[in-house]
Amino acid sequence: MLIVISITIYGFSSIDSLIVIPLGWGKPNYDFTKNPLNKETVALGRKIFYDPILSRDSTISCSSCHLSYTAFTHVDHDLSHGINGKIGTRNAPALMNLAWSKSFMWDGAVNHLDMQALAPISHPAEMGNDIENIVAQLQHSASYPNLFKAAFGDTVINGARILKAIAQFELTLISANSKYDQVMRKEPGVHFSTQEENGLLIFRKSCASCHTEPLFTNQQFANNGLAMDTFLKDIGRMKITQNAQDSLCFKIPTLRNIEYSFPYMHDGRFKKLSDVLKHYTSDIQQSSTLSRQLQQPIILSSDQKVDLVAFLLTLTDKSFLYNPIFAYPQK
Amino acid sequence: MQATTVRFQPYWITQKLKLDTNIITNNTSVLEISKFRCYISNIAFKKNNVVVWQEPNSYHLIDANDTSSYSIKLNMPATLIFDQIHFNIGIDSTTNVSGAMGGDLDPTKGMYWAWNSGYINFKLEGSSPLCTTHNKRFQYHIGGFSIPFNTLQQVDLPVHHTTNINIAIQLDQMVAQIDLEHQNSIMQPGRAAVEFSKKIAGIFRIKL
Ligand code: HEC
Ligand code: HEC
Repeated sequence: MLIVISITIYGFSSIDSLIVIPLGWGKPNYDFTKNPLNKETVALGRKIFYDPILSRDSTISCSSCHLSYTAFTHVDHDLSHGINGKIGTRNAPALMNLAWSKSFMWDGAVNHLDMQALAPISHPAEMGNDIENIVAQLQHSASYPNLFKAAFGDTVINGARILKAIAQFELTLISANSKYDQVMRKEPGVHFSTQEENGLLIFRKSCASCHTEPLFTNQQFANNGLAMDTFLKDIGRMKITQNAQDSLCFKIPTLRNIEYSFPYMHDGRFKKLSDVLKHYTSDIQQSSTLSRQLQQPIILSSDQKVDLVAFLLTLTDKSFLYNPIFAYPQK
Repeated sequence: MQATTVRFQPYWITQKLKLDTNIITNNTSVLEISKFRCYISNIAFKKNNVVVWQEPNSYHLIDANDTSSYSIKLNMPATLIFDQIHFNIGIDSTTNVSGAMGGDLDPTKGMYWAWNSGYINFKLEGSSPLCTTHNKRFQYHIGGFSIPFNTLQQVDLPVHHTTNINIAIQLDQMVAQIDLEHQNSIMQPGRAAVEFSKKIAGIFRIKL
């Protein structure tokens, strides 16, 4: 059973002693009872996240593609590249509020946060390694055995412990202090401008059915009308379910910190938010799996587009982006 | 309490499996098995079709690379009366969505799919001249837990009260049901894996 403890600051409530659950966000999907956070394990996970020891040639860490200052995306890369400069096939998504996610990856290929790290570790175009190798390397390192002891009580290093530690660090990446959040919490002195207010109304009408507040995703998969890239030929969710109804469906991403997580979409095809709005208002591709909400055209005047972008920028959370406890661990 | 040992031994007809050695098959061609692993889980005993004892936390990896993995010791009441042993071949769906686990379920065991989360229930690899692939290899990685592609298999076998239960895994019977020429690789959940998995339960037999 989860015990919910109220924490007075900000009116947040807590489900685990180390993270605060923003009010109104609902219960996380992650089962903290199976991996209760503790300071030492979070610190270990952070060290592993930033350690290139994970890749076969010790050149690439998780942070090579997930940079804290850009909401943990691969800044300025449409397709992420890994060891030996190999180019992957998808854009690195932002990492935040992962405790609420029901599935991971653009196609939902991964069903649990713990297991997600296995994918980049073993991908030939990402880290090109395998978890057995990493266990052996960490066992032989000077510092890791003691850090595992501090985290887990003894120096045993195995796959499950490595994965749980990485997950613990990722679970702490909560972004809930944007201007939008402050306005919603009615914090004194914080107000939307008229533009932002208009943008919110447009957003709630045209976008929120998929990018649902407060997480700005409803955790579902949808075809949002992008034309298939004829080179990548990415069919999205259908690859996992082998169900034709899922063709071209991708996970609906959060829009928090969207100002910083460009380029956009699963293949990073759009560089700017104005490109994204052009897509939704004039470039929707009809197909048998196109989501119902996008079958009627979304019509926005140029003023309305400006307002909508102004609203999207209120989702930027600088206290998350520049939080030193998420950044590269300095000794 | 009494220690009952259940031993799972892979066989090729009457011979105990030896990895990486030529096996002369019925049709006089030569076959080699290079890898064999499978999960046995949820071991239980039944009397008149009712479960009378169940092993807690019951997940075992059988691996032909490590023959000590063939023997599973069960600590069950000495007085237990049963007429059937029950087990699953593979990992149940709840465990498949429960995150990282250690022991035989540790992802270092080579039995977890990173790019389509889930355990591989049954892995058989080798080579046969019937295969038209590189190095004449065949590779069957059978897994998948979501409907409609669930590959978990349940087995019930008759047993009498005894301290040692020997179960043979007749790999020859598995290979006999595969069209090595046309289907030499299954590496992901799907229809082919489900069809394959339906043949697995029948190759587990009590060895008297
Ligand atoms: C070479 C670049 C690269 C590296 C290195 C990398 N990632 Fe990723 N990451 C990606 C890409 C690309 C995706 C999306 C993959 C997909 O959808 O198929 C992704 C997806 C994710 C997701 C899923 C997010 C979501 O909301 O679905 C998480 C979590 C994640 N990565 C964490 C990590 C961790 C932890 C590491 C280190 C062990 C890591 N990544 C290393 C590029 C990378
Ligand atoms: C039918 C559901 C749906 C609706 C409605 C919708 N989106 Fe999306 N949105 C998606 C999906 C799915 C993706 C990811 C698509 C992909 O990458 O293939 C996405 C991606 C995005 C992205 C890129 C995010 C990133 O991190 O790459 C932005 C920005 C975005 N949407 C904004 C909007 C705006 C603004 C609206 C309203 C005008 C809107 N969306 C309406 C489903 C929807």
